Amino acid sequence: MREKLSSLITEYAVNNPKVVILSGDHGYALFDSVRKAAPDQFINAGVAEQGMIGIAAGLARTGFLPIVYGLSAFLPIRVLEQIKLDLCISKLPVLLLGDGAGLVYSTLGSSHQCGEDVAALRPMPGITIYSPADAFELETCFKKAMTSPTGPTYLRIGKSDRKPVHTKLPANDEFSFTKKNSSKTLLLGTGSMSSTALEIATNLKLDSASVMRIKSFPKNLISELSAYEKVFVIEEHHRSGGLFSSVAEELCESGIKNAPRLFSVSLKDQFAEHCGSHDYALSEHGLTNAQIEKLIESRI
Amino acid sequence: MKPDLSPNTLRKLVLEMAYFGKTVHIPCAFSVVEIVSSLYSKFLRYDAKNPRSEDRDYLVLSKGHGVMALYAAFHQIGWLPREAIEKYFSDGSLLHGLSEAHIPGLEVTSGSLGHGLPIATGVALGFKREAAKSGKAPKRVFCIVGDGEMNEGSMWEAMLFASHHKLDNLTVIVDANGFQAMGKIEDILGMEPFVEKFRAFGFDAVECDGHSLEALGREFEKSVGPSTNGKPRAIIARTVKGKGVSFMENDNTWHYTRLDEQKFTRAIAEVSK
Repeated sequence: MREKLSSLITEYAVNNPKVVILSGDHGYALFDSVRKAAPDQFINAGVAEQGMIGIAAGLARTGFLPIVYGLSAFLPIRVLEQIKLDLCISKLPVLLLGDGAGLVYSTLGSSHQCGEDVAALRPMPGITIYSPADAFELETCFKKAMTSPTGPTYLRIGKSDRKPVHTKLPANDEFSFTKKNSSKTLLLGTGSMSSTALEIATNLKLDSASVMRIKSFPKNLISELSAYEKVFVIEEHHRSGGLFSSVAEELCESGIKNAPRLFSVSLKDQFAEHCGSHDYALSEHGLTNAQIEKLIESRI
Repeated sequence: MKPDLSPNTLRKLVLEMAYFGKTVHIPCAFSVVEIVSSLYSKFLRYDAKNPRSEDRDYLVLSKGHGVMALYAAFHQIGWLPREAIEKYFSDGSLLHGLSEAHIPGLEVTSGSLGHGLPIATGVALGFKREAAKSGKAPKRVFCIVGDGEMNEGSMWEAMLFASHHKLDNLTVIVDANGFQAMGKIEDILGMEPFVEKFRAFGFDAVECDGHSLEALGREFEKSVGPSTNGKPRAIIARTVKGKGVSFMENDNTWHYTRLDEQKFTRAIAEVSK
């Protein structure tokens, strides 16, 4: 997924001189190819995220297409107000890449971990939020954000070396089923957890789907959910404000008959306790594949 | 015909808006009146028929609290109807009490402080890049910031960026009226010496009398002339909060005070001299 991100950035920069990439002094190797192919279009804005968002807004106002890169712990969390006032109000076409979302930086500790980015951004009027699961989803939403943006877009990039959930580009930028076993239980994943959902669905002969676009919410998803008795929403994000919240809100309001029972499989309301691998960090929240599989088995 | 952008005309319009709208922040607007008057009279390139003209220079009001001075100028230029002045703050009216980017003539949403200068910096970079392709001289960006606003760290981030990237088409004007919302700057979070600080951050910095059209004009003349050193410019405009109305000058309670009929009449008389 990271190689795909690097090549997409380079491809769009080379093909359009109006594309400008700004980084808050992060993502060293990610930008090797674009720095070589289009050196003038890459700007390291320094460890100065607030200023960087304003500068991206100014560039967008003069007709440029900024791609702004940072770690999700800082972009969007540190610069929420800049996203709201500098970008959202004027619907500026700026692509925000929030890397390392969830517990990716497990060994660096809580300052670099981020389970609240989607929740923080969802109420921002006019923003689009993607949470791709693999290189295919990444390509789909990156292209959408760069070619037909309706305002700022946030692309949440979490643990990126998991097994892909697709074998080709998905048909749309919203959601897609990744396993159909005619089960009455659906595992609904997003980002890194789409791979987990697929693996467990395969093991337990359940259905799974991957949600790529969290905002604006894919309306068709709700009618699909009515076919299920139980839906487990799995995300490397806190329960408040993420995919579970989105699905619950939409489902409540939809008034569909025979609405499924929803379960949240998400980060606990706590910070990292000890240091360790990504899998270890997930285990503190009960979110390793084995833990989730066990939980689901006990509930179906 | 050139619009009447004289300081007294602008101050009179600000007083009318504040009185009709029963609103505050009058002194924040009064301290930038000569700056706004000078820029729109002589130095900014704009289209009186189209505030969003592609060829325009940018004036970014980073200290959104001074917005009534700009509304007054926009009315005189023809971008805002008389109704906008008379119905200020009435239900369903166009103009808010701080700068909003969708208003014709305003470029950014500010008032939450520390936003305008970073955006102005990005615009200046965009203009420089555009100019490098077209071979023309870059369009210019002027950014009015408050001295209290300079408390915000994002301002200093933008300054570092502007000087590192040699944005010599950017001029920052500090409305140095010596006050912030709750008192004197020197008592709250001292910011001086501004000139030395801007210089240390790579700016070509000067100070001048911010109520003298002549002094401001001399400095703006340099901003619109060819750059000689590749540096962004800073003009520390020494101003008086509430300038033009004797009972408001340097009385910070007027940051929050509304005009009654008697004070409105007195104030109008003072700015009509």
